[in-house]
Amino acid sequence: MKAQIDAFTAQICEVIVGKVEAVKLAVACLLARGHLLIEDIPGVGKTTLSQALARSVGAAFQRIQFTSDLLPADILGNSIFDREQQRFVFHQGPLFSQVVLIDEVNRATAKTQSALLEAMEEHHVSADGVTYELPEPFFVVATQNPQHQVGTFPLPESQLDRFLMRIELGVPDRASERAMLLGVDRREMLKELKPVFKRETLLEIQTAVRKVHTSAALLDYLQDLLDASRQRHSTGISPRGGLALRHAAQAWALMNGREMVLPEDIQAVGVPVMGHRLGHDIEQPGQSGRTLAEALVRTVPVP
Amino acid sequence: MITKRDTRIPRRPLLWLAAALVFVLPPMFDGLAPWVPTLLLVAITTKFWMEPRGYRLRFLPLKIALVVGALVAIFISYGAIKGIEPGVSLIIVLMSLKIFEAHTAREFHFMVMLGWVLCLCGFFLAQDLAIAVCIMIAFTLLTTALIQFYRGLAGGRIWQPLRAALTLLAQAVPLIVLFFLLFPRVTTAFRLLLTPNAVSASGFSDRLSPGSVEAMANSTAVAFRAEFPDDDVPRSIPLYWRGLVLTQGDGMEWRFREMLRSSPQFHSGGTIRQLITIEPHGEHWMFALDRPVTEPPGASLRPGNYLRSWQAIVKPRRYEVKSSLELARQDLQPLERKQLLEVPASISPRIRELAQSWSQADPDPHAIIRRALDFFQTQRFRYSLSPGEYRKNDLDEFLFRRRIGFCEHYAASFATLMRLAGIPARVVIGYLGGEFNEMGHFYLVRQSDTHAWCEVWLPDIGWRRVDPTNVVAPERVNSGFESFLERNAAAGEITPRFSRTFARQPFFAKIRLTWQTLNYVWDSRVLGFDAEAQQALTHEIGLPDVRPVSLLFLSAIIAAGFVVILATWMQFRARVQPDPVQGLYTKFCAKAARMGAPREPTEGPANFASRVSRVLPQESKRIATISNCYIGLRYARDSDASSLHALAREVQLFGSWKRKNRKSYAGR
Repeated sequence: MKAQIDAFTAQICEVIVGKVEAVKLAVACLLARGHLLIEDIPGVGKTTLSQALARSVGAAFQRIQFTSDLLPADILGNSIFDREQQRFVFHQGPLFSQVVLIDEVNRATAKTQSALLEAMEEHHVSADGVTYELPEPFFVVATQNPQHQVGTFPLPESQLDRFLMRIELGVPDRASERAMLLGVDRREMLKELKPVFKRETLLEIQTAVRKVHTSAALLDYLQDLLDASRQRHSTGISPRGGLALRHAAQAWALMNGREMVLPEDIQAVGVPVMGHRLGHDIEQPGQSGRTLAEALVRTVPVP
Repeated sequence: MITKRDTRIPRRPLLWLAAALVFVLPPMFDGLAPWVPTLLLVAITTKFWMEPRGYRLRFLPLKIALVVGALVAIFISYGAIKGIEPGVSLIIVLMSLKIFEAHTAREFHFMVMLGWVLCLCGFFLAQDLAIAVCIMIAFTLLTTALIQFYRGLAGGRIWQPLRAALTLLAQAVPLIVLFFLLFPRVTTAFRLLLTPNAVSASGFSDRLSPGSVEAMANSTAVAFRAEFPDDDVPRSIPLYWRGLVLTQGDGMEWRFREMLRSSPQFHSGGTIRQLITIEPHGEHWMFALDRPVTEPPGASLRPGNYLRSWQAIVKPRRYEVKSSLELARQDLQPLERKQLLEVPASISPRIRELAQSWSQADPDPHAIIRRALDFFQTQRFRYSLSPGEYRKNDLDEFLFRRRIGFCEHYAASFATLMRLAGIPARVVIGYLGGEFNEMGHFYLVRQSDTHAWCEVWLPDIGWRRVDPTNVVAPERVNSGFESFLERNAAAGEITPRFSRTFARQPFFAKIRLTWQTLNYVWDSRVLGFDAEAQQALTHEIGLPDVRPVSLLFLSAIIAAGFVVILATWMQFRARVQPDPVQGLYTKFCAKAARMGAPREPTEGPANFASRVSRVLPQESKRIATISNCYIGLRYARDSDASSLHALAREVQLFGSWKRKNRKSYAGR
């Protein structure tokens, strides 16, 4: 299982040069059945990463570009009157896919955002009183531009919480950038990507992730982190955040070929899992959530 | 939790508070006007009816009127507004009114604080063991109420706050003991003024008049307790406890008069040592086995060999005194002799004749005494506690008509007769017998053991004790007053007291003994631990002449030290891992730290292992084993016992290469 995951990660790393850490986190997020939020300036490879992920899974892939005039029906689907059948027929929107890339999620209005996030949490869509199940696996990769850019509608805390992780890609280092400049066009590479494993294999791995053992000692550490976050910040990590941390750490442990979670796994996924959940501390306005999460990981002792 | 919006006091803390206040009440009922504690009880009861309905005292003029009314009532009850009783009453009344009014968290706090003050006030009124136990219970319950209050409405089981309170108090015990032993006893600046009421309840006066003993015969109050530290209790003879010597005879009434002449007899050899703890009686007399020959501190031995305290005894006092059963002959000064032969002019000729007939028949004093005793024995005198009233000139009535009475009548009449017959005589009052407590090895002497007897002066042997009661009712002298009463009760002469018969059951007798012993220990060791005892203690632990201020500093320093030690211990206990796996790993980390690779507190085991391996490449294999075992034991789903052994062995061996190397270097 580790070999398959390694091959999967390696293939994506070929496309996204010099970002091993970010890629691994993205993979962990996929394996933990979470949704991923990538936040960075344009042009650092956000879209490329999500496309590479989708293609390597061999899953149906959809891309939705969010704009300020996008309406919920545009992503969920519409009921249209069918003359032949003499009734309304529901036409599924682009969200009915296994891997969905939401580009620039914070450019849409709150209404559309909440429709999306509800679907992410519930794994189904309700339209005209009928519930439609979304396909399995269902993996949303959303990208967003940093908050200070013009024309953005920042995601509220409650909705940020729905994303398992928030990662940043950042500008590649000099050597990696040189390799990228000299290398083949990324779009060409994406087209040539072959799925590393089948949909069933992915579901299998996802099930295995949930079975990775978390011992009492580890949960002590996890809860210490949660407690510390609640003591130090006006809004600490929610219980859902704690669960997310556990799942992400389980995925990370499995990626490292382990049957149990170690404190190191928690630390590895701690910042991306907790960062966006701590981002709105009123008492420490200058601090970004990322810094706060780093401080937590750096200061809470391993019992 | 109690929020600002919630202005009702929750039921449970209120229950605890009510229970605590009930335990505060016993000393109040004893010492205060009964309406005061009753008001508090009513207030508590009513509160449980008022609180769920949201009723409370709101109308300010009414509150003011109630306070004024209470002040007036206190003034009427005590005739004063100053002093202990009115003061305590005032606090209780205000507490009761507060209960009617209280509804906020702050006021609940206030009530608990006031409850603590009431605990203190209880000790102003009474200090015996039963009261102390009540107040300790009240104190615990008040703490519990406060804890329950902070646990809030949803707080679990009802006993949990009580447990928390008991834990708190148990932790405070060393501090309590410390401050009890070392906190300076202030004796001059702060003295409680006992009201006359509390004092006159016990003890006798400096005169023996008909009926004065009778008044005390039914009082079971404790007069004093006596210990014989050398264990030389004179078992074969009745114990006469000498109190006061009365020399001025007036027929049936005898009075105290200072005899200026002969000095008391001091004696050194053949004495019996006693430790006596006396209950406060507000007067000066002190008691000792007949007759005391040494002076306890703060008291003097008066002519006539009785003890007199320099200051009135207003609190329990413990003293050591030696007594001698035999005394050397002492001469009488002529003036003294005259004084001791004085009789009132009002003595009837018939009595004079009776006495003179004895001395004329045989002038030998021994023979006179024998004849007088014969007179009491043969003329059908009866011993009774309710002989009817005698006036002070009723000697005739007693000797020739009614012939019924008890010790005071016999002692008074016998001494008068002796003087008439020409033998110097005096009356001694004190106590007879007492109850021996097997458990605590002490005698408990009650007011009902009060006794009066005679002393006559014989030319050949000096002063000698003669107890005419012994002739009339020998069982009274030999078996103690209690059993005498009982026998009479069985004969139907006195109605038996239910409590007395009940207390004679063996099981209850045992409980009674234990309780008496505890009381004795409380009185002598706890209440009796005064400035003097404290000084003795500081001397014993090697701190001679400590001033109160330095004692205060000392206790503060020791208390602070104790708290620091306790805090450190708790910290240490929290850090020590009971888990063997964790213990071994901590040991490994400590070893690694000594070798230059200390573990960061936030470092996971795998990261740490790889870092230590880089620092100590020689040991990398062992480090890997330790780390794998530890990870397996601590984080994996299943682990086997063998890996714990492996971990223990490897941790033991870890670092041994260094020691070996050092040895081999040394070998070269």
